[in-house]
Order: sequence, then C-alpha cells, then structure tokens
Amino acid sequence: MANGKKPYSLDRRRFLKASAGAVGGLSLAGCAGMSTGGGGGAGAGNVQGTPVAGLNNQDVEGKTNITVWFWDEGLKYAVQDYNKNNKKNVNVKFVKLSYDDTHNKLLTSLAAGSGAPDVCAIEIGQVGNFVTRGGLADLTTEFEGDQFKDDMVEYKWIHGSNQEGKLIAMPWDIGPAGMWYQPDVFKRADLPTEPEEVGKRVQTWEDVMQLGQDLRKKLPNTALFADAFNDIFVPIVEQKGHGWFQNNKLMFEEKGTPALQAAVEARKNKVDANIDWWGAEWNEGLKQGAFQGMMIASWMQTGLTQSNPQLIGKWRVVPPPEGNFNWGGSFLTIPAQGQNKEAAWDFVKYVCCTPEGQNAIFRSTGIFPAYKPAWKDPLYDQPVDFFGGQKTFRLWTELAQNVPANVVNPNDRQAGDVVGNEITKVEKQGKDPAQAMKDAEAAALKRIQGIVG
Amino acid sequence: MASTTAGAGGRSGLGQKRGTWFEVRRSFWPYVFISPFFILFGIFGLFPYVYAFYLSFVEWSGIGGPGTETWVGLRNYQALLGDDLWWKSLYNSVWLFVVTNLNLVIALVLAYILNSGLIRFKEVYRAAFFAPIVASSVAVAVIFTTLFGERYGTINWVLSLVGLPGVDWLGSATWIKPAIATVVIWRYFGWNTVIYLAGLQSIPTDLYEAARVDGASWPQIFRHITLPLLRPVITFTVILSIIGALQLFEEPLMLAGGSQSTSPGGTDQAGLTTLVYLYNQAFSYLKFGYASAMSVALFVIIVLFSFVYYRTVGRERD
Repeated sequence: MANGKKPYSLDRRRFLKASAGAVGGLSLAGCAGMSTGGGGGAGAGNVQGTPVAGLNNQDVEGKTNITVWFWDEGLKYAVQDYNKNNKKNVNVKFVKLSYDDTHNKLLTSLAAGSGAPDVCAIEIGQVGNFVTRGGLADLTTEFEGDQFKDDMVEYKWIHGSNQEGKLIAMPWDIGPAGMWYQPDVFKRADLPTEPEEVGKRVQTWEDVMQLGQDLRKKLPNTALFADAFNDIFVPIVEQKGHGWFQNNKLMFEEKGTPALQAAVEARKNKVDANIDWWGAEWNEGLKQGAFQGMMIASWMQTGLTQSNPQLIGKWRVVPPPEGNFNWGGSFLTIPAQGQNKEAAWDFVKYVCCTPEGQNAIFRSTGIFPAYKPAWKDPLYDQPVDFFGGQKTFRLWTELAQNVPANVVNPNDRQAGDVVGNEITKVEKQGKDPAQAMKDAEAAALKRIQGIVG
Repeated sequence: MASTTAGAGGRSGLGQKRGTWFEVRRSFWPYVFISPFFILFGIFGLFPYVYAFYLSFVEWSGIGGPGTETWVGLRNYQALLGDDLWWKSLYNSVWLFVVTNLNLVIALVLAYILNSGLIRFKEVYRAAFFAPIVASSVAVAVIFTTLFGERYGTINWVLSLVGLPGVDWLGSATWIKPAIATVVIWRYFGWNTVIYLAGLQSIPTDLYEAARVDGASWPQIFRHITLPLLRPVITFTVILSIIGALQLFEEPLMLAGGSQSTSPGGTDQAGLTTLVYLYNQAFSYLKFGYASAMSVALFVIIVLFSFVYYRTVGRERD
C-alpha cells in the first residue's frame, strides 16, 4: 500500500501476482519433475493400467503374485493359461499400459529404484536404451537363459543382448516383412496377380521401381506404395541390420545414402503416392485407392483387420527384393529390483520359450513367435483368410531367416533422431541424400560422445 | 497467502521478548492446519525442483537407479551453450510465444464485447469459449491433424474451393509453427477471456458513466479507463502466457510427429520446442543431467522474460 491510491486495486494486483507466482512455480515444478523422472513415474508401484476383459487382476492368497506390463491385450491368452496350469504356484497380474507408458514408467521406476513390475515388455525401438545400462536382470548369468539361444531366431537374440553378449531381454515376437499387394488392383493394371509370379517379378529394388511405374501407366491415380521414405527407405536400411551403429561406428553414409537415393528416385517416378505413413491421411489414401500396397511386417495384419475390414481377403504378400528384413517386435525383461525374480523367470520362459505360451498368443493376435519350435504347430501350414487363403504363416517363418543383425547401442535413439531430421530435409526440401547423410554424421558426432564416424 | 505472511510477521513483532519457541507453541494448531499444503508442496513441488537442480550437475541415465550418477560440475551448462539445437528449439519457443500472444488480444476484445451488455446469453458464450481448455489433448491432436492434412485435410479442401493451392501444413518447415500457433491460440483464448471478463466486471460502472457524461467516446473509454484498470489482470495473463508458451509441449509433440517420431519437431526441426527437446533428452536419450540443466536454464529464461515484462509495461507507474 505504498502509494495508497486505490487500495482495492493494489490488493487485487498483489493477489494476482502471488497467484501467478504460484502457478508458475507449479508448472515449473511439473517440468522439473518430468526431467527427473519423478512426474511420470509417481506411484509406479500401484500402476493400474487399462482393465483387460476376462482377467481377474487380484492378488491370490497363498500364491506368488507377480505383475507384468505390456501394451497389447493379446498377452492375456498366455496369462490365463499360465495362471491355470503353472506348477510354481505363481499368479500373474497383467497391467495393460500404453506403449509410451510401458517404457516411460519402466524407466522412471528403474530411476527411482522401486516400483518396477516383475516382468516388463520392451520394444525393439527402445531396446538399445534398456539392455546396455544395467537395471534389468542378466538372463544369461542369473537364469541360464542361454539354453534357449539355438531355439530363437538368430538376429532377435543379438538384439536382446548387451554389448558383452549377455542376454538381457528375452526374445518374444518378431516382425518378418514382405511386400503386400492387392491382386485385384494388379489385375486391373494387367500385372501378374499370383504371389509366385509377382515374387519372380520383384527380385531387385529396380524391379520394384519398374513395377510401380507399370502400375501408374495403367492406373494413373494408384501408386504402388504410400510413402517411399517408409516403404522403400526403411526396408533397404533394415536389410543391412537394425540400427545405425556397427559396434560404435556410425553407419549413416553406408546405410542411409543408398536407401535415400532409392526413395528419392521412387518419389520422382511416382512409385509412391507421397502420403505419410501412420496417420489419418494414410488410412484415407488406402480407402480411396491412392496407393494399393506396402512393405511391412506380419503384425500389420492385426491393425488392418481392425481399420480396413473391407480389405480382408484382398491381400497377398511376397518376399522383399534383395534379402529379408525385420520390422518391429518385442522382448520380455525382468527388472533387477524385483522381489520374485524366480517366479518372473518361470513366466517369461512360458511366454517366450514354449510352443504353448507363444502360440496361445499368436493364434489369437498374430504376434509372431521368435521361438522357432513354436513354428512346428500345424497352425502354421493353414491358409490365412486375411491373405485370400495364401499360406502366409509359413512364409513369415521363411522370411525370418537370414536377417542380418547389429549389436544394439545405447545411443540408438539419439542417432535415429539425428538422421531422421536429415531425412525430412531430403524428403521435404529436396536436399541431396549424400550431403544429408554427411551432415547427419557430423551432427551426431557433435551431439553424442564416445562414438566414431 | 499474502495476508497470512503479514499476520505472522505482525505477531512475531509483538512477541519478541518471549522468544520464537513460545510463538510456535502458541500457534501450534494453526500451523498444523496449514501444514498439509506445505507438506504436499514440499514433496511434489519443492523436492523435484531441488532434485532437478542437483541433477543438472551430473550425468545420469536413470536406468541404473539412484546413486549411479556421476558429478560433472558445470559441463552440462557448457554443452548447452554450444548446442545449436537448444538454441533452435528456444527460437521456436520464443516465436510461438510471440505469435500466440495474439490470443490475449482476441480474448480482450471478446471479453469487452461480452461485458458491454450488447450480447445476450453471455454464459453460453463463456462456456463455449472455455470448452477447448477442457478438451483432451489427444482428441484435439486427432481433430487438428485431420484439419491440417495435406491431401484429405479440411483446410486444404476449403483452400481448393477458392482456387488456392494446398499447403503441407504439418510437413513443411515453413508452416508447422503457424499450425501449432493456431491450435494453441484456439485452445487458450477462452481461458484468458474468462479472466479478462472477471477483471472487467470488477471495474465500477460509475467510472464509465462519469466518462460518458464528460463526453468520452467508446475507444477513449477503452483506452483511458478500461486498459489502465485492467493492467494488473493483463500483467497476470501475460506472465502466465510467458510461462505457458515457453513450456509448450503437447501441441508441438502431437502435431509434429508424435512421441514415437524419429524426426521430432518435424521437417528441419522447425516445430521442435524447448520442452519437446528437453523431453527427448531425458526420456529418449536418457540424459537426465543434461535435460535438467535445460530445465534450469529454461526457468531462468522464463523469470527473465517475466521480469522484463513486469518492469517495462506490466507495472503501474506513479
């Protein structure tokens, strides 16, 4: 009240100032909390998740109760079977979280030193962060996990291991991939329609370019793919093994440049429709026939069954040109802080390393086993309605062979973002691919310590 | 809060001779009654902030758990000064702050109209303007990505009706910031309208009447009566807007690729705000120390912006 002019306005102003300070302080604290990991992970020990139909997620008295986090409802089929049949007196509670929450809450509970589940799924895109830094149980040393090494798809085992070759994340599912197309559309363009003939026609990436142009000639409004920077760029990169590192050496130029050049050429020749993947536009483009197919992995079947049921039975798939690649897939891990690690290991073994566990999930969801003995089930030789009766399950098992692998790196995600930024410049601003990859390498070397170019 | 401090200060002045302990005992129950706020604030407000400040001097991936950090002194801050992406993200955030301040102008005009008595069903408008604040950000993101779609988007469809070429709103480095700003303005103008309306309603009507009797025009009344009397409210909203805009997170994250994007911030990182970058450093790259240094630097910048605003235009001069 220093100037004593209008006391009421002064009071109000002081009040407003005080509240501005309080609100500002709170939002800053929220921001600070997020960066320490305290925000997202608060109360991680009692994470509720989305209820899953058909599961009773209560502790059962007299049993060892353990918790598992995963983002897809499909795990419940294995949980139901396991809870009924296991001999170790274990009761599993399945907490379904979003993909982001699963990883972020795992991270924050590891950082806090408590609150992690007994078993947690992690996805291939996140595996580099989690297996290289401790915090998760070493399955090789603690549980003799190596007994399953020969039963698992080779590259998947490498992805789940740290740089010393110890298995941290147990391989669960894989994403064998191929070229998806619609024979009805090919027929209208006077192209071969049977998978055998189409497969013969796409032996090289050059063949794919030709096929795309032939399709456009007959059907000017339909492209072979939606987005060359996904459908062509990603497969060519993945054919040299997942990730941007070989040991600690950056592979931007070796892997990125040829893949980008192919994508740019495809865009120029209208092999793609120039529609970004993974969004409303992509879905609309598929519905309207702006593009007819894609290069993607087996798990896409589940998503397309839900989003585009009108296309069930219209799909066929052929092997990708110039070698197999993998896209996606997950692992199960056992956080080191857990109290019931033996029980957790028993459950992980059931889900990942038995035909019953793997196939209980696969049969209902299409989550494709990395565990090779599971493929002996007659299920894998059945025709698949979604692909018009093509025996694609057997095809996926073949496409899961001979995929190259790189050991994961703790800097995988940052390197991916650095190169991702240069890719946007190539795609949207016409930057030269070779120059872009050179710049990406310089930027990565500047931002990430301990790597070589 | 202000009155509590004043009261306590007065009392301790009175009881100087009897000592502090006596005072604490005498006011034991009042302290107990106000303690929940301070306890909660200490745990959820103060502790994370102090901890983040500490973390800004260490290197820590988080995965190894507490105690696995290494002290690096000022190295995180030195790295920050030389990080071109940090400066770029800061530029993006300041750009968005400047442009999204447009929502204050819109809000002020709307509040003035609502308060003028020319409009019926004031409450309906007030609720409608406020609705975007309540909407879930995921729903907002879905709606706006559909609106901004390059090929099938509504906005480009409208543009094509009047013969204009479509714009790659979310995919081009030029348009991503205006697109984000549009969403932010749409989301927050209602909030500010309601605050301004409350401010306008507290201005006594006899001032307006007196001015009109003296022959002042509406623009003159607005300029010489409404604006000066509304100044504290405006200061409040501008400072909130500084805090909010420099911490933009959800809207840029959703519009420029989403949390799983391998090119956060979109083409040429034109939509990468400081907080999105900070989030990536912490949760994608697991550099919690560096991210904490960013949050401390951001805090200083926000305080600086608020202080400069307050000293230049926000304060009433004698």
